Amino acid sequence: MNLFRSEEHIVRWLGGREPGATISVAKLSELAHAWWGDRVSKDWVPHTREQNTAILRRLGLVGGFWTLP
Amino acid sequence: MEPADLALRRRTYAFLVEHGRGPTPAELGEPEEILAGWRRLHDEHALVLNPATDELRMLNPFSAVPTAYRVQAGGRWWYGNCAWDALGVCAALHEDGRLETSCPDCGDSLVVEIRNERPDDESLLFHCLVPAARWWDDIVFT
Repeated sequence: MNLFRSEEHIVRWLGGREPGATISVAKLSELAHAWWGDRVSKDWVPHTREQNTAILRRLGLVGGFWTLP
Repeated sequence: MEPADLALRRRTYAFLVEHGRGPTPAELGEPEEILAGWRRLHDEHALVLNPATDELRMLNPFSAVPTAYRVQAGGRWWYGNCAWDALGVCAALHEDGRLETSCPDCGDSLVVEIRNERPDDESLLFHCLVPAARWWDDIVFT
């Protein structure tokens, strides 16, 4: 789960490996804030699979790659 | 998750936020009891232990050990486990921040300032190699 300068750098870094998923750092920030925003809250309880799936869907992160176990 | 484990997790994270580092078992109580609780939390993916030493490895999104993802937020430097977690440090602390890392391809320094939950350089890309269904197969690799 890395940050890259551009798509060209991702392709070169993969070196022929099967690519995963690429999103913009702006989308990543939205994801991070939705996913981790409550993590040090005194009231934190574990997210359910459904809650995490809803976060991904809201951000358009759908399909097999983003399907949680 | 049992209430006692939830409370232990809360105390563990509170220590991290207060001190800027993860606690040792003895800093939270009777070491064997704390370790037993941490092992249960590890099994529930609520934190990650180093399997060889039982030391804290991840208090997601924070890393308890140095990584390639340094984050300045809330007047301190932290480590994230990956790019997602590094931005998660700002999210968890509800702070603006600064992420410093490097492009894994070329090694060039990458710096991202986060203000009001937005990165200042939106040209950078995040690549996730492992599908979500397998993230916890090997969370350190993920």
